[in-house]
Amino acid sequence: MEKSILFYLLLAVPLATSFLAFGIKSRRLVEAVHFAGISIEAFLSLQMVQYVIREERLFALGDMLYADSLVAILLLIIGVVGFLNGFYSIGHMRYDISRGEIDEKEISSYYGFYHILLFTMVLCALSNNIAIMWVALEATTLGSAFLVGFYKHKASAEAAWKYVLICSVGLAFALYGTILTYSNAFAMVQDAHKAMLWTELIKMAPRLDQQVMKLAFVFILIGFGTKVGLVPMHTWLPDTYSESPSPVSALLSGVLMKCALFAIIKYYAIALQAIGKEFLETLLLIFGLVSVGVSAFFILVQKDIKRKLAYSSVEHVGIIATGLGVGGTFGVLGALLHAINHSVTKSLLFCTAGNVIVKYGTRDSQKIRGIFKVAPITAFLWTAGLLALVGSPPFNIFISEVVTVIAGIEAGHFWTMILFLVLLVVVFVAFFVLISETVVGSPPEDLPKGDVNWLTLLPIGILFVFMVALGLHLPSTLSQLLQRAVTIVLGGTI
Amino acid sequence: MVWYALGSILLPLLGSLVVLFLPEQQVKKTGQLFSFLAFLCGLALLVSFALTGESFSRELVAINGVTCYGITVDTLSVLTNFLVVLIGWLICIYSAGYMSPDNREHPICEGINRFYSLMLLFIGSMAGVVFSSTLLGLLFFFEITGICSWSLIGFYGDEKSRKSALWAIALTHSAALGLYVATAYLYVKTGSFSVTALGKLTEAEKTIAFIGILIACWGKSAQIPFHPWLPRAMVAPTPVSAYLHAASMVKVGVYIYARTVLAAGKVPEVIGQVGAIMAVITMIYGFIMYFPQQDMKRLLAYSTITQLSYIFLAISIFILGSQMAFKGGVAHIFNHAFGKSLFFLVAGALSYTTGTRKLLMFRGILKKMPVVGLGYIAASMAITGVPPFNGFFSKIMIIISGFEIGRHNLLILILTIITVIESVGSFIWFLKWMGTNVFGTPSETVATAGKPPLAIKFVLAFLIIMTLISQYIALALLS
Repeated sequence: MEKSILFYLLLAVPLATSFLAFGIKSRRLVEAVHFAGISIEAFLSLQMVQYVIREERLFALGDMLYADSLVAILLLIIGVVGFLNGFYSIGHMRYDISRGEIDEKEISSYYGFYHILLFTMVLCALSNNIAIMWVALEATTLGSAFLVGFYKHKASAEAAWKYVLICSVGLAFALYGTILTYSNAFAMVQDAHKAMLWTELIKMAPRLDQQVMKLAFVFILIGFGTKVGLVPMHTWLPDTYSESPSPVSALLSGVLMKCALFAIIKYYAIALQAIGKEFLETLLLIFGLVSVGVSAFFILVQKDIKRKLAYSSVEHVGIIATGLGVGGTFGVLGALLHAINHSVTKSLLFCTAGNVIVKYGTRDSQKIRGIFKVAPITAFLWTAGLLALVGSPPFNIFISEVVTVIAGIEAGHFWTMILFLVLLVVVFVAFFVLISETVVGSPPEDLPKGDVNWLTLLPIGILFVFMVALGLHLPSTLSQLLQRAVTIVLGGTI
Repeated sequence: MVWYALGSILLPLLGSLVVLFLPEQQVKKTGQLFSFLAFLCGLALLVSFALTGESFSRELVAINGVTCYGITVDTLSVLTNFLVVLIGWLICIYSAGYMSPDNREHPICEGINRFYSLMLLFIGSMAGVVFSSTLLGLLFFFEITGICSWSLIGFYGDEKSRKSALWAIALTHSAALGLYVATAYLYVKTGSFSVTALGKLTEAEKTIAFIGILIACWGKSAQIPFHPWLPRAMVAPTPVSAYLHAASMVKVGVYIYARTVLAAGKVPEVIGQVGAIMAVITMIYGFIMYFPQQDMKRLLAYSTITQLSYIFLAISIFILGSQMAFKGGVAHIFNHAFGKSLFFLVAGALSYTTGTRKLLMFRGILKKMPVVGLGYIAASMAITGVPPFNGFFSKIMIIISGFEIGRHNLLILILTIITVIESVGSFIWFLKWMGTNVFGTPSETVATAGKPPLAIKFVLAFLIIMTLISQYIALALLS
């Protein structure tokens, strides 16, 4: 296959699927189209990852689109986790229809928006042009807002409104950052096209103006940081994640958040060479630790299981920011690995939470009791997911947390790392309380026994396999990708 | 021999998966089978190690040339693994009798799959801890044993047991941070996770690493200030208390301490002094707490805390220069496991047949249930250190080495004298309860007791024999 065609296909498939989905009225047909769309997209992204492994860097459309190992990791997340969340959507939305939560006729617009979101995320990942990347990220907000408010309750409409408003304001900050970076580069090369390209920016990074880049990075961190959910810009996040349909929460937390995160990482790479490590270290460690610290206590006191998971996303973004903050090979490696691990684990948890909610009809952790007796497989996945989330072996997050701690101690942040670990213990306890409250005990009496159907359990099961596999072993392909991505971020040549 | 070691780790893990998918009637048999296979591996390893006597380490999992997990076969690991798989197997047999609807204290009708699955998972991860040649491996399995312990303490699912389970996981995990830091620190300083890399650290670096390790060990072995979880954990089903909270999981702490001290070469004396002082403080605390206890299992929990302090003391004395103390400590890990699990299983047999664990309710056990009565006598003699029972042999080694070092170290001399006083005191206290409970005419509770199942009697008899002979196995391997 011609390589640049792959770029166009990756963008065209979700877009085309989306148009198709909007046009189809039959539920079965739209589900089939949706499934075909996400399968092809997953296949294409895996194909792209293979090319990247072989050729290291690919360009298309006059260098406007590109893919290297860093992009490939994000693409892998979008393709695979996006596929599994999409797969789960089918089973879950059928339940929503049968419960009368949504009208059967509306289902085609759900899948339509799902693929628009997918398209904007892929565009964001692939674009080499920093302005287009910004536009794509802004567009993800619009695409996902409809999904967030899909239930059309008062609460979900409010959540969607809050989401659009805060994220747009945030992204306006990111626009300043983008423009500052561009003007900084333009002053140097006098070439409007080149000054927009990330691959060019990273080359000229050491020569960029320090003061301007400092300012630009602060704007970027606040702007994209809003979308990622760093404290104190996280206020939209708990509402949005808890009011969305569960597969959407999974997609937002598992995939969309990573798009914004990788945008930050791209600027981090430029800033690292332009202004050195110290400034970034202070900034990211403060944001990271504050995010972990604040969310830890919110996790403890929330009653709504999805809000707990939402705050845990804030916490994990904090962990990633801490990893980036301490920097060095291990720091960046830990951050990237953690991004992958968090995508898998959090998607699993939001999907499982979806099943729990389908079963119990509530999100209130005080009312959910005895899942083990009602739905043993769901209970197993729920427990395993929460254990993974708090960093227990043999699951994946254990590995990336250990790598982050190693990085921190290596960088000389001994006491900071102890504080970091202590904060993680608070989260640890909070989720153990949740497990022991919800999983054991006796369920409400009128609840019918049995798991939700296999259509919803299968994608979660696949995520579970990933979660365990990544905890026990790092495949050589992935480890190669990660190593190269770390080199790219740290500014070395590959 | 690598395969025997791996068998001890992997067979129970496999079994843990298998029993999840079996119908409930077959779970008990399958659980026993897998634990028995693990025991055979442990036995084969013990025999072949005794014959060849070669210690070695083998690297198993490495990422980019850094060893993440490997196994070490030496006296310490072979001996500890043997007790883990042997008692694991016995507990699986015992539980088949205990976990039944006929249980008077807690009739059990469901959750057998979960119980056996967790038990087997626990046996496997214990063996994983024991053989690990890296700090990362120790940490990995340390946390898994913690999770098993948490879910088994909360097995009954009521409010109290869930709270107790939370205490256990919160305290042991908080302590585990020490091990996280030590692991990361070791890697940063030496580029390796291997336990032997501890030897490459400088004196000051060793102090930092060992403070982390000690904190984790105190947590797992329920020493001050992390002790509150162990007495609370007694709400667990008794086979769990016997196995996890007396014989094996609480030994993870002292085991890691022993393993790291052994591998690190010369350890800073300050670690030895801190270890010894904390051990004796915990010992005194545990001893004082004997007196108000009315519940048999809680009494035993405090006794476990003090006995673990003996081992901490022994390894700390080893740091200060006594080889014999190390042997005594390791032998005590081994011997105490049999004595204390026997005692717990006696308590379990009593609560199974009578429905209570209140010490004051029992009188004349020997007459009504001879095996249980004999078990009571053997267990209390073993843990208080009366010859010819096993506890005596390891305790005396620890005390002698304490006096040996104490000749030129006033601190250790004082601590050893306190230890002797504790030893005598606990002997008297257990003798008192033994006199009250075992002999005489049966009280009403005992007289109306049901019959213990054959599985329970078999395990008790087996362990009574072990309290008489385990010291010879330990000493044969250690010399």
